[in-house]
Amino acid sequence: MKKLIENFSDFPMLENDQHHYIRYRMGRLKHQLWLYNRKRNEATIDTHDKFVLDNLQKGKTCIFGSAGYYLEDFISDLVVIEQWPIVKKFYPKAQIINDRSEISKHNGRIFDNFVVVNNRGDIWCELSVVEKHIGSYVKAMKTGCLFFYSFRDTQIVGWNRLKHDHYNYFYDFALHIEKTYHLNLLWHDIKFAEKTKDGAGNYDIMENPDTTNGNIKFVFEYKSKTKNIK
Amino acid sequence: MNSTKKLIKVVEPFALYKWAKNFKRIQDRFYGNKFKLRRIQQVEDFITLNNIKKVYHIDEVRLDLDLPTNTFTNTVEEADLILVTAQGYSRFPCIGIIEQIYKWLEKCNKLYLCLNRHYLNIDNQKIDLALPDEFQKAITSWLQQSLKDCTVIDLSKNYLDYGENFTWSLPDRHFYIEKK
Repeated sequence: MKKLIENFSDFPMLENDQHHYIRYRMGRLKHQLWLYNRKRNEATIDTHDKFVLDNLQKGKTCIFGSAGYYLEDFISDLVVIEQWPIVKKFYPKAQIINDRSEISKHNGRIFDNFVVVNNRGDIWCELSVVEKHIGSYVKAMKTGCLFFYSFRDTQIVGWNRLKHDHYNYFYDFALHIEKTYHLNLLWHDIKFAEKTKDGAGNYDIMENPDTTNGNIKFVFEYKSKTKNIK
Repeated sequence: MNSTKKLIKVVEPFALYKWAKNFKRIQDRFYGNKFKLRRIQQVEDFITLNNIKKVYHIDEVRLDLDLPTNTFTNTVEEADLILVTAQGYSRFPCIGIIEQIYKWLEKCNKLYLCLNRHYLNIDNQKIDLALPDEFQKAITSWLQQSLKDCTVIDLSKNYLDYGENFTWSLPDRHFYIEKK
């Protein structure tokens, strides 16, 4: 009889490149766009990518934990930082870190734009832990840095989905981040599924909007509030 | 935007997930197929130990249940039990989940329902019931209060799910429901 398992940690996982690559890919959806675009003359990006690109300011851009190399063709001074060493195998320019505190230790306070798009490594935790992650990112931001942050509500732990108003829960979090880190909220987009019966009296089984980029999206500006988000 | 020689095509965000039906098999391979998810054993044990001979299984992810092939029926009318492991129903609005449970119970009086806690109340509706603050208890209380003419037994193990409990292989909250 096979050993019964309940949690990832109950049994040692395989340790090989193929395993690490599959796990990385499953959690970094935009890697698929990189695979698709790198061999074509036409690059496909989605409307959220376009939104980020249209609003980046001049200077150095960090994309953390989001397979950011897929936007390399479009961002002139890009630093891609990941936590999975396997990324080095196919994108040698990536910085690999273990702990988020290494971002500022390795780079200093140099970034004009900091982008995190639905980073699987940032979620699957309580918002209090997300707050700590953001605290690490802030240490690498120059004054005026734009911070694009998005994630999925369904992968945040430690709240009661049947009792809390979802919109307020995440909007209040953004306001808390504003106060905690001098990150001024410039823009937000918080959307949930809208469910109505179809003609046959059935509901759809769709998820919340934008499972790829996340249905909770914020743009902050560090220590100033001067930019207009388009 | 940086200047690039590539033409750019901008599309609406689209689902880049490609593994839905095979998700469990992919996760099995993380361990060289040497383990079995306890919740799958629980489902099999429930069916076997309760001497249930005919099961109508509404699935999505391939679970590879270790039960005789002739256990599974093609139609719900033949079944002694409806087993629901498809996650899509967890993405119904809460009121829709309750309606769907009654639809199933009209066809078969025994239901084993697996719900993915992370999808519940996906459309952010106010639930006008007194519910416990603890989410897992609140799920059970919501079902029990909404299905007053049914027996609702929570078969789930309680734990905080930090994304490491194979929830997308087999949903985590398990309930046995039958009409009184």
